[in-house]
Amino acid sequence: MASDILTLDTLSLTKGQAVLLDGVSFALQRGKFHALLGPNGAGKSSLMRVLYRAETDATGTVSLEGKPIKDWHRKAYAAKVGALVQESVSLSGLTLAEVVILGLLPLALSRDEAQARCAEALGLVGLANRATEDATHLSGGEQQRLFFAQLLALDPDIYILDEPHNHLDLHYQYVLLDIVRRRGKTVLASFHDLTLATRFCDHAFLLDHGRLAASGTLAEVLTPERLASVYRIDADFTGGALSIRGAIV
Amino acid sequence: MTRAPYGTTLALGLIALVLAMLAGAFWGTADLPWDDRIAALLRLPHAQPNLELIIWEWRLPRVIMVALVGGALALSGVIMQALLRNPLADPYLLGLSSGASAAATAAIVWMPAAFVASFGLELLAFLGAMLAFVLTLGLAFQPGRGMDKLVLILAGVAISLFFSSVSAFFIHIADPHVTRNALSFLMGSAAGARWADMSPLALALPFGFIATWFCATMLDAVLLGDERATALGVPLPVLRLALLSLAALLTGLSVAGAGIVGFVGLIVPHMARLLVGAPHKRLIPVAVVLGMIVLVVVDLLCRTLLAPEELPLSVLLALFAAPPFVYILRRVRNGF
Repeated sequence: MASDILTLDTLSLTKGQAVLLDGVSFALQRGKFHALLGPNGAGKSSLMRVLYRAETDATGTVSLEGKPIKDWHRKAYAAKVGALVQESVSLSGLTLAEVVILGLLPLALSRDEAQARCAEALGLVGLANRATEDATHLSGGEQQRLFFAQLLALDPDIYILDEPHNHLDLHYQYVLLDIVRRRGKTVLASFHDLTLATRFCDHAFLLDHGRLAASGTLAEVLTPERLASVYRIDADFTGGALSIRGAIV
Repeated sequence: MTRAPYGTTLALGLIALVLAMLAGAFWGTADLPWDDRIAALLRLPHAQPNLELIIWEWRLPRVIMVALVGGALALSGVIMQALLRNPLADPYLLGLSSGASAAATAAIVWMPAAFVASFGLELLAFLGAMLAFVLTLGLAFQPGRGMDKLVLILAGVAISLFFSSVSAFFIHIADPHVTRNALSFLMGSAAGARWADMSPLALALPFGFIATWFCATMLDAVLLGDERATALGVPLPVLRLALLSLAALLTGLSVAGAGIVGFVGLIVPHMARLLVGAPHKRLIPVAVVLGMIVLVVVDLLCRTLLAPEELPLSVLLALFAAPPFVYILRRVRNGF
């Protein structure tokens, strides 16, 4: 039985009138790959932002290894919980290698070790021969691979991946998630592609309107009733594939 | 774009700075034999006392003051461009300089001379810069949508216009004897700088330089975006508050020293970035040295081009800054 590494207890978040998270409680198990599912606006990104500490207004408790998040030193926490976030920026004036090495900020590494990790990570995402290029002109997919490399170089205990497949072609969607899975670390990744989720995830959490609607294996979570009520589609999810039966509700 | 080697760039920059400062000390309206000039600079026994006075009490304080102002404004620009992730951020365009100058003008016109002489001017200029900055940010910030790069600049222009008119009003209603002093604030000039005026900036610039340099890697992380920087453990609100206040302090002290000097904070960081790239450990020293060189040279030109008449700093700076400004503006559309 795997132990819990990160626990969320009645996590709630309100912005003005909008309730983004409403009493969400669950736990991530050490070494497991977890999917965070839900339609647009269900609260996936908000929840992840709480976990990588970009959102500090939430009520409830998040504990890493039994210690509340607010009691962790920010660097020690950042070394253990790494995030791939959705935020578009222009990387003018920084080389690819410099971007990856910035990801090692929470760790106090020697220059040699930082460079070795950087070279390995850039190799994993297929950007090894472009390490000294300026990152300004990367395409969206290349930028996503670069930020994957940043996270792989850090190699935290918990990977928080907010729509990791964004901008990636099919090859890299599978290759990069496969690399993460083979590292054997704890992962929480949000997905819209349920087939992709099935291939990698041991466990799934389904959010709907800021609440945890279901938790379990993907097959347990994605019943036809929930597909209809949460995703508003008339479909079956069997054998890791989604088949649409009737009209879009 | 290939980068220049950092060590060589910085060394060449420092040599150029020393040369520019020597040129600033040697050249002026008085045309004299070189022997005399060198003797005066080195304070040799046979030096002419009047030339020694010109160089040591007029030119050198002025050269050092403009160098400090150039370095301080370049450092402010680097800080603001990084923390606001806006290539157009600059103490002048965001209204800080006008805020500082309105406060300084008010001080000169209304406050007792003793208060003005004992760092009251610097203090008020800093508070004016801070107030203008807060107003600009408040005007540009849209809840839930953050801050658009160009909207921020427009807000800065609006605040700048407001404070310029406040300054103009103070000058208009004031006693003509004091307004001559106050007027130089609006156009930028280090004429009349004395050794005694220098200490606030001479202390603040090295302090600011070291503080910013120690935050260099965190500033690099901010370039990756707020969320990424936070996820990497950067204490973003504290960093922003501390360093943007430092930028306002440096701007306020610069305005107290040499009036409104536009565009140095905007253009110089870009020049430095073109040379050594965006990582702040390299960018900060190169930008500060470049800012010093630029302002020392511009001040020298202002003194000598139409000698014995003097041009205000802002006249030549605006002329030099216009082409790179257009270039940066075009790049903003394609991101930063």
